[in-house]
Amino acid sequence: MRSPRLVLSALLLAGAIATGATAASSADPGITAKTILLGGTSPLSGPASAYASVARGANAYFKYANSRGGVNGRTITYTYVDDAYNPAQTIQATKQLVEQDKVFAIFNSLGTEQNEAIRPYLNQAKVPQLFIASGATTFGHDFKQYPWTIGFQPSYRAEGWIYGKYLARAKPGAKVAVLLQNDAYGKDLLAGLKQGIARSKVKVIAAEPYEVTATDVQSQIAKLKSSGANVLALFATPRFAIQSYVFANRLGWRPLIVNNAVSSASNIMTLASEGGTNKAVENSISIVFLKDPTDAKWRNDAAMKLYRSIMSRHAKGANVKDVYHVYGMAVAYETVKVLKAAGKNLTRAGLMAQTRKLNDASNPFLLPGIAIKTSATERFPIEQALLQRWSKGSWTSFGGLWGYRAG
Amino acid sequence: MRRADLIRVGVFVLAAVALFLLPRFISDFRAQQFAYVGIYFIALLGLNLLTGITGQISLGHGAFMLIGGYTTAILMSNQDPPLEFFGHAFTNDMRDIWTIPIAGLVAGLVGFLFGFPALRLTGLYLALATFAIAVAAPAVVKKFDGLSGGGGGINIFEVETRTRPVETTDPVTFETISEPIKILGLEIQSFNEWLYYLCWTLAMVMFGVAWLLLRGRFGRTLRAVRDSELAAASSGVNLARYKTFAFGISAFYAGVAGSLLAIATTFVNPDTFPIALSIFLLVGVVVGGLGSLWPLVFGAVFIHFMQIEWAQRVEGVIPDFVPILGDIDTDAPGAPAVAFGVVLILIMLAFPGGAAGLIRTLRSLTTRGYDRVR
Repeated sequence: MRSPRLVLSALLLAGAIATGATAASSADPGITAKTILLGGTSPLSGPASAYASVARGANAYFKYANSRGGVNGRTITYTYVDDAYNPAQTIQATKQLVEQDKVFAIFNSLGTEQNEAIRPYLNQAKVPQLFIASGATTFGHDFKQYPWTIGFQPSYRAEGWIYGKYLARAKPGAKVAVLLQNDAYGKDLLAGLKQGIARSKVKVIAAEPYEVTATDVQSQIAKLKSSGANVLALFATPRFAIQSYVFANRLGWRPLIVNNAVSSASNIMTLASEGGTNKAVENSISIVFLKDPTDAKWRNDAAMKLYRSIMSRHAKGANVKDVYHVYGMAVAYETVKVLKAAGKNLTRAGLMAQTRKLNDASNPFLLPGIAIKTSATERFPIEQALLQRWSKGSWTSFGGLWGYRAG
Repeated sequence: MRRADLIRVGVFVLAAVALFLLPRFISDFRAQQFAYVGIYFIALLGLNLLTGITGQISLGHGAFMLIGGYTTAILMSNQDPPLEFFGHAFTNDMRDIWTIPIAGLVAGLVGFLFGFPALRLTGLYLALATFAIAVAAPAVVKKFDGLSGGGGGINIFEVETRTRPVETTDPVTFETISEPIKILGLEIQSFNEWLYYLCWTLAMVMFGVAWLLLRGRFGRTLRAVRDSELAAASSGVNLARYKTFAFGISAFYAGVAGSLLAIATTFVNPDTFPIALSIFLLVGVVVGGLGSLWPLVFGAVFIHFMQIEWAQRVEGVIPDFVPILGDIDTDAPGAPAVAFGVVLILIMLAFPGGAAGLIRTLRSLTTRGYDRVR
């Protein structure tokens, strides 16, 4: 280069490129001018593959949102990978999403143990663990230790509390027998139930745990029956809940049965009713916070019409009656909203800041009136639900919204 | 040393150098994936010693890996109540690498003891008995939930005794300073790279040990047991001794692999070692080639990447140009499992002898007739 001016302009150009490059690389991973990359794990195979619909429903909603312009000019790509419901695979798949695919956030990963397994890793790497698909209380409770983690659905403790409050009001003096899974999920529900019936005449007179690996719960149900209880609470996964209905019926036991939301999907209840011959399912009580696509009440509801049109366009061949798709859409809807609120200059820290001040009663896939709320000291997004009663082959909700209040 | 052995040692050294240099050419994340390949390689070496060489089918090696993994996790993290052995109370004070040999020995001892009842069983019955351990082990672990953490398992990510680059915040500038892992005068910046070197160092050592064990009298005896127990016994082979030893050594390898798996995943729970793991291991041995040693690397690559990566991206595995398959819903439940099965069947159809068989075929094409007979 002969002329000093040329050298100078070349230097300036190089400097501009260099600063441009650093400006681009200082943005958080997973964000480009046109895209946001989210990742998560889902049990596409294995014992819990029924829950895979959650990820599919969410993905369908993101595709719909992208077709309507996306989020602040960016489209969302949601990569969900199979972990076979095995926490060790959850860890490997999550590391792959974070370190290789370089996702912006881990979103909607499913399972209590699965999310507990990746929580320390994500928090150390400062990657958002957004809207976990598990109701374990620890995810909302331990936010000081794990600030990058936030749940979504009502916590198991809140659910148990609602059952307790309901029993205290509707069946004073009830004697409750509890079947619970012997892990954090079952114990959370039982603790909530006990909290709900505190200072009332309702008593838990028997509680029988079972192991996830158990083959059946026949002996537990027999023991619970002999306790003389008139209410049976099932804090159990679908398989064991169905068995409990069947065994209770065979023993000629007709308590009021409270069945947790984990096992209350309509198809599970239909299985438990043994083709309508098992009357033990009649009048079962459970909670609901989503619009059930099988509920006739929502047939002409605008949100459910939207749900069906999204399913037919973006999730061809999937079972529209599966309520887990609605769950996926509800959580995806909220994610789009949070990402929008976090603004054009999207960062991981900015996203988490938004999740600490949620206040949204507009989520159309949730039951009317349910507000998603969080604050600096309170990290349980959904804490409201309706009670519903099973009668003649379908659920009917009754009463007003129940809102959990700690303490 | 024979000339052939000199060549083998030369190739081994070259492979070691290549493995040492590999992390410079691949991403940090790939290094971690290859570390897992190393872990599976160790487990396959052990299983092959039992199944491929000695002829004893085991569908329960996942259980021996479980024992190794839990030994490591408990020794690293256990605090209350302290475990006391030989007058030393282990309270959260054992570094991860020192737990590896202990994990191997504990699993090896269990394997050795299991060898005794296994003596009476052959073929299918042995397969069933070993399968029973794989089925029972996760449930047994949950029973002792005080020690094992039950279904929730043990998370060793935040345990002090875990080797990792320590991140501290500079009190003046608030910048994050990463203290590298120092070992043998080397400084390793990332956990994944450290994991890679740890796993492959052990894999190479254990490969060498397996090779030395099998090239001499001991290996010949084990092969004799496989080919005909009656003939072996009548030539003076103590069947009980060799079978139990084979079980013990094989379980030792599995225990070391399980321990490394725990360190790599930084987490153990019963589902970390599912029944499927035991089956995958057998699949890995068959894909690598029964009775082979180094071709087992291909088996290890297969079971790791097939499980974790390839099956996830089913679109890539099933090519669009196969018209019979039509429009496949790759999003359907169970699609990864189906893809895994289809690929496995295709591989077994094309290469019934596994990778080792393919290598033999290729070699026989390039050498002269008299070599082929070997």
